[in-house]
Amino acid sequence: MSEPGPPLGKPTILPLGDGAVLVRFGETLTQAGNSAAVAYAAALRHAQVPGMVEVVSNLVSVLVRYDPLATAFQQMAGELRLRLAGVDSLGFAGSEHRVQVRFGGADGPDLEAVAHSLHLNTAEFVKAHNQAPLRVLATGFAPGFVYCGFHPPGLVLPRRTQVRRAVPAGSILFAAGQTAIAATEIPTGWHVIGRTGFRNFDPAAASPTRLAAGDRVVFEAEP
Amino acid sequence: MSAVIEMVRAGPLTTIQDAGRHGLLGAGISASGPMDRGGFALAAAMVGAAAAGGVEFTAAGLELAVVAGSCRVGFAGAEFCVRHNGVELEWPGTALLQAGERLVVTPGARGNYGYLRFDHEFDLPSVLGSVATNSRAQLGGLAGRPLRARDRLYLGSPAPTVSPAAQPAPVPTEAAFRVIWGIHADLFAPATRQAFVGTRFMVTPQMDRMGVRLADPAAVFAGASALSLVSDAIVPGDIQILGDGTPIVLMRDHQPTGGYPRIATIISADLDRFAQQRPGTPLAFQPVTVEHAQRLLRGGGP
Repeated sequence: MSEPGPPLGKPTILPLGDGAVLVRFGETLTQAGNSAAVAYAAALRHAQVPGMVEVVSNLVSVLVRYDPLATAFQQMAGELRLRLAGVDSLGFAGSEHRVQVRFGGADGPDLEAVAHSLHLNTAEFVKAHNQAPLRVLATGFAPGFVYCGFHPPGLVLPRRTQVRRAVPAGSILFAAGQTAIAATEIPTGWHVIGRTGFRNFDPAAASPTRLAAGDRVVFEAEP
Repeated sequence: MSAVIEMVRAGPLTTIQDAGRHGLLGAGISASGPMDRGGFALAAAMVGAAAAGGVEFTAAGLELAVVAGSCRVGFAGAEFCVRHNGVELEWPGTALLQAGERLVVTPGARGNYGYLRFDHEFDLPSVLGSVATNSRAQLGGLAGRPLRARDRLYLGSPAPTVSPAAQPAPVPTEAAFRVIWGIHADLFAPATRQAFVGTRFMVTPQMDRMGVRLADPAAVFAGASALSLVSDAIVPGDIQILGDGTPIVLMRDHQPTGGYPRIATIISADLDRFAQQRPGTPLAFQPVTVEHAQRLLRGGGP
């Protein structure tokens, strides 16, 4: 796994409005910061912190929503600071998912241009893209949407200059050394390289999503 | 079945709301819920026994007819004119509606959002624990969309009694909106932060349940460079600054995460009042501590 960016600095704890705290593990997206956020969020979900109502890990931070009638900011910040000690960033093992993708064609209109920009043919790109399992870095951008990373430096491209107003559910998106899966129709400036039948959002299910931050995703070309 | 109600006229963004769909930010779903929680609660108190869900409507008002049965309705939020079979009623207030009767709500002097609450539950599917319409994710309410003319709402089982809510104390219309400095406040120059609290902004017509665009006539944020930030969690009340310097206050159907810098967050005690500000209203922001904001929530003064 690649290890972009510097090692982890000291986390910061700051208020986000009067009912939430943000615990930040960095100002830029790094593997170390992301792993720390995922592991810390997992540890908090198992902790009994009075007044805590929701824990969400983001790319390099953890949002903790709390009931301001049950606790106060300084008290919650103290509880969260205590629990920063002893979080094992590498100790969090999520589940593994296989995601079958139809690469290119109408399903992935940007595949050829992406491969060309990386000096690969499409078969070489697909092989390189699927080579190693990726980690779900974060969820939350849209229903069921996941960011997965990181690809090695040879597979890093900036976003498109033009935003598409809508790409269909199941679109496989590629940019910034990451692959994302759109679970609903969304606008995006990422390259669309394929589509999957894997749906990470079902509002009728008790748990509406299947992928969680920290899970491993193995991408496979649909035979 | 206690009553069947048909929308005769529905203004834009007439939606079903309840206390909200909380706990699903990780799934990419913001909580939704009423834009003016106080107004929503007051409408329930007017009925005495109110269903968890209610109808939120915008400044254009609405009109409904009772197709069958009877029910009691409570109304509150903003200021509207309301007529029951042509007879004007006090706003906020309540009315007993019988089959064949009409309730007509027309625009009033102030505010953006009004609420109807009923004494029987909506016969609507609960989606992830709530009937609230999420306009961004297209969930809840009636097929995830705003209500429109000819939609029918079916009222079923009797609703539980609610304790009377105190009418919120009137706030001077010129009062500043109190904010807590945001998670990116330190990325703005001290002079910009100073100008943010010393300048008047203005509400624009570009407003919906996701966010309210502000005009910045003094160009406080005109020079703010487009920062490249890691996408991070958003909460209602966050004030984000777009790359072109436009401030947007994110509201109940906010995107769960975002990458624009956020200078401040309107405190919970002032967010209902903010939601009710009409386009053209000048606004000022006043920073307070999180401790102060939380004292207000616990009833520690205005």
